[in-house]
Amino acid sequence: MESAGIQQLLAAEREAQQIVNAARTAKMTRLKQAKEEAETEVAEHKTSTEQGFQRKLEATSGDSGANVKRLEQETDAKIEQLKNEATRISKDVVDMLLKNVTTVNN
Amino acid sequence: MNDADASIQIQQMVRFIRQEAEEKANEISISSEEEFNIEKLQLVEAEKKKIRQEYEKKEKQVDVRKKIDYSMQLNASRIKVLQAQDDIVNAMKEEAAKQLLKVSQHGFFNHHHHQYKHLLKDLIVQCLLRLKEPAVLLRCREEDLDIVESMLDDASEEYCKKAKVHAPEIIVDKDIFLPPAPSDDDPHALSCAGGVVLASRDGKIVCENTLDARLEVAFRNKLPEIRKSLFGKVGAA
Repeated sequence: MESAGIQQLLAAEREAQQIVNAARTAKMTRLKQAKEEAETEVAEHKTSTEQGFQRKLEATSGDSGANVKRLEQETDAKIEQLKNEATRISKDVVDMLLKNVTTVNN
Repeated sequence: MNDADASIQIQQMVRFIRQEAEEKANEISISSEEEFNIEKLQLVEAEKKKIRQEYEKKEKQVDVRKKIDYSMQLNASRIKVLQAQDDIVNAMKEEAAKQLLKVSQHGFFNHHHHQYKHLLKDLIVQCLLRLKEPAVLLRCREEDLDIVESMLDDASEEYCKKAKVHAPEIIVDKDIFLPPAPSDDDPHALSCAGGVVLASRDGKIVCENTLDARLEVAFRNKLPEIRKSLFGKVGAA
């Protein structure tokens, strides 16, 4: 009887050890899972960040395209204005130059 | 203690051992979840931070590139305006050069011959006053040779009066002439709208008084004034 009791206790100890070991193994597996889940989450985050970045790029490239167009229009307008002004004063300038050439101050 | 009591006690001990093990396993399970959450959070946050920094850097690079691009476009725009200004001013000079050809042709002065002759005389006198040499070499266009020779004495006399010196020896070069007026046949050939070039006998001092040279000088001197009247109103870039 005594021997049987001891066997029961030893069996209980072994079972207890198995329960604890199983819990430890489960813990190791869970911690490994943490790394895998983190990697998945990070990959998703990177994808969404990249998409956001690309959207922003597209939006701002439209803005910079508009800026270039505006700059070109301003430049052309300025040049047109210059040409108009030149047409207006060209004769006076030419006359002034010719007067300077043909007037000799001795 | 009889067998029944012993058996009960053993059963209690077995239950206790199992309960202890289950409690321990439960603790491990709870700490496992806590550590899982902490580990995952740390890993995710660390990587997210890296990603954030990476994209902040990317955005800065994009901003810098955009600023550089815009700056280059602005610069190109300014250059375009400056080039247009330059073209306009040069076109005026070209127009003046075209008109200048009429000075030595019929039409510019009412009494062409007399007026151009008078201008040539004044140009020669001016050169003589600048050179102040006792002997000079004079070059003119071949088509102006007769006019020049016809009023050389008048020019010399006027110079003598103004400079209060003896009449200089003026040698007209009849071997080498100034280029003729530009022709439609060869618009790129050397040309001269009129006027004279005088030099000291040794050729060290030269007074270039061609109409073309005078236009260059007038243009250079008047350029700030021309630019101001043109671009002052428009607002030069």
